[in-house]
Amino acid sequence: MIAALIFYMFAAFTVGAGVMVISARNPVHSVLFLILAFFNAAGLFLLLGAEFLAMVLVVVYVGAVAVLFLFVVMMLDINLSELREGFLTYLPTGGVIALVLLVELAVTFGGWAFAPDVEALVQAPVQAAASGVTNTEALGALIYTKYVFLFQASGLILLVAMIGTILLTLRTRPGSRKQKIAAQVARTAKNSVELVKVPTGGGI
Amino acid sequence: MTQTFAFSSLVPALPELFLTVAALALLMLGVFRKEDGCRQSTLLAIIAMAIALVLTSQLGGSVSYAFGGGEAGLFVMDGFGAFTKAMVLLGSAFTLGMSGTFLEREKIGRFEYPVLVLFATVGMMIMISANDFMSLYLGLELQSLSLYVLAAYHRDNLKATEAGVKYFVLGALASGMLLYGASLLYGFVGTTSFDGLAKVFGAEHAVRPSLGVIIGMVFVLAGLAFKISAVPFHMWAPDVYEGAPTPVTAFFAVAPKIAALALFTRVITGPFGDLAGEWRQVVIFLALASMFLGAFAAIGQTNIKRLMAYSSIGHVGFALVGIAANSVLGIQGLLIYLAIYLFMNTGVFAIILSMRQKGRLVEGIDDLAGLGKTHPAMAFVMMVLMFSMAGIPPLAGFWGKLYVFLAAVESGLMALAILGVLSSVVSAYYYLRIIKVMYFDEALEPFDRQTDRPMRLVMGLSALVVLVFTFIPGPLLVGAKAAAAVLFPAAAG
Amino acid sequence: MFAIGLSHYLTVAAILFTLGVAGIFLNRKNVIIIMMSVELMLLAVNLNLVAFSSFLGDLVGQVFAMFVLTVAAAEAAIGLAIVVVFFRNRGTIAVEEISQLKG
Repeated sequence: MIAALIFYMFAAFTVGAGVMVISARNPVHSVLFLILAFFNAAGLFLLLGAEFLAMVLVVVYVGAVAVLFLFVVMMLDINLSELREGFLTYLPTGGVIALVLLVELAVTFGGWAFAPDVEALVQAPVQAAASGVTNTEALGALIYTKYVFLFQASGLILLVAMIGTILLTLRTRPGSRKQKIAAQVARTAKNSVELVKVPTGGGI
Repeated sequence: MTQTFAFSSLVPALPELFLTVAALALLMLGVFRKEDGCRQSTLLAIIAMAIALVLTSQLGGSVSYAFGGGEAGLFVMDGFGAFTKAMVLLGSAFTLGMSGTFLEREKIGRFEYPVLVLFATVGMMIMISANDFMSLYLGLELQSLSLYVLAAYHRDNLKATEAGVKYFVLGALASGMLLYGASLLYGFVGTTSFDGLAKVFGAEHAVRPSLGVIIGMVFVLAGLAFKISAVPFHMWAPDVYEGAPTPVTAFFAVAPKIAALALFTRVITGPFGDLAGEWRQVVIFLALASMFLGAFAAIGQTNIKRLMAYSSIGHVGFALVGIAANSVLGIQGLLIYLAIYLFMNTGVFAIILSMRQKGRLVEGIDDLAGLGKTHPAMAFVMMVLMFSMAGIPPLAGFWGKLYVFLAAVESGLMALAILGVLSSVVSAYYYLRIIKVMYFDEALEPFDRQTDRPMRLVMGLSALVVLVFTFIPGPLLVGAKAAAAVLFPAAAG
Repeated sequence: MFAIGLSHYLTVAAILFTLGVAGIFLNRKNVIIIMMSVELMLLAVNLNLVAFSSFLGDLVGQVFAMFVLTVAAAEAAIGLAIVVVFFRNRGTIAVEEISQLKG
């Protein structure tokens, strides 16, 4: 009973925040609602027993991705009214199509059936709670052994993302002043201070 | 839990590992050398691809798995993989060879370019060898993310960045759909492994796939159709082809397309092999729509890069005819078609890259006017390639189409083959129009002389392959047949 | 009603996925909202995967979801970089308006 209520709370907030993400007038509000959606989805993950993923969702998504979105939204000077054009004109048809898609998906999922001998195919069964293996430990044991290939491949993807963002956005402006620590440290009194003997009364 | 790890278990993935290490080394080299331009790293990247090609050709004799126990491994290397990977490596190396001097002349040569091309190639090879939805997804994303950046590579150019935005948005949507489909399939079967899926859908279990599985499969196929730019998921291709820098367009038109089609084939013959009744209609629809849209939409184009986009959409349609046949003959036809497509397209792009008037780039079809008089050799190469693309015998392009259509007829898809021939006739119109412009229109301004040696090499090679294939088709036919047979173990045994 | 089963989670995921797709088509001009809609779609996928993982008693779904999270973060970074570059050239993030490239 309590668990059901908690589920409905998380689910309602996730869906409501999702609606606000796509319909909010101001992109900054959209980002904030996206954060709300992620938080509540993390709650759903917890209910499902995926503790590690719930934490990762909060740390990576709220902490990094959403903040990155917020940063870009605020950095770019966006004309709000112009971007809203078309939302209301597309809404009736788009809404109907979305509703039809949703009803179809929901009907399909109402009676979800697994393949007959699904237990035989499961590759990494969850160990019973009594064994003392936590969710995080079990995931780690899989990722660093059986799925190390995928782990490395996702590392490559992150590297490509890094190269790509630097390649696209980093620019060295000719006029910008930077601190050159090595040059500063290497300076000595000998090559930077000049003692000039000024003759008295002669003027310069 | 002590498991012994044997390095020999990595051997099937040796080409990928080598290319990855090479890309990382080139990245370090580029950062520390601080050279402007990309000529040297481009050369090194091509050498790395050549070595990977040699390694690939040594593998693939038998089916071998890496990363994970036996058939449930994440990575599979077989004859089909070796054949398609060789094509991808050749395509990447050719297009990279053509881009080095071009980028330097446009003053946008940077060492990241060959590094990103290398990473994209690694992604494509992982895709081709995927034996699990997880490795499929990661390979696909490694490729896609590199390509998004490459599309927007000319970052001060409005058209290029707009192409990047469009490609990114539609590509991300496609990935989302593919993933949603994959999650539904996982939910039904309880595994993401291709072999596990194939077993469940296989005849001995005789599971009637539920509606959820069909929806999942359709989502996966739609996501993949985006990546091969089959109609109705083609909207991005013309914009991206036109907007991206020309060497990047040349790259997009060849290697990723071949890799995505190979992945499409592997998914459809592997896990979905026994669901042919369900997917066949979808593939036939994609093939027909792509062939006809490619043929009709290309007629009104004035920009040659945009024309090549529609042409490649049409070519994807012909290739899908081979997949729809769902037989060894069909996949053999597909592989032959792709190999010929590889040479034709690199040749045409070598010519497009040479379209320069007084140091300025031009992209209009009208700018080719009078090429027959001003540059007879280049015009001859272009004529051969255009005739071949139109499918006029005895050039290679004709044989590519013939094999695909023969396979369709043999599988009882007579109507599809006839409609395909019709669309091929329509598409001949715009290929022939280019030849007419080159030989019968008055030249306005001749192109600059092409002095770049790799470019002339690629032009000559592609024309040679297209001309000679009719006389010595043997090696390609045999190789393609062996590669195709791997996907249908039941038919062979 | 009070027994929460797999279907409940799948329905929430389906709603989120539909919202994501609808968001892309409704906000055609605003690339940033489009990217957030893509994030919603990927969140729906993750919810699907975790729900299946939980009800199948299989960890692979969670492993898959973790890689999806990783890639989505990388994708967001690349996408935002491209949007920033586009904004620098154009002065707006509206894609459709006076498109240089005719659709």
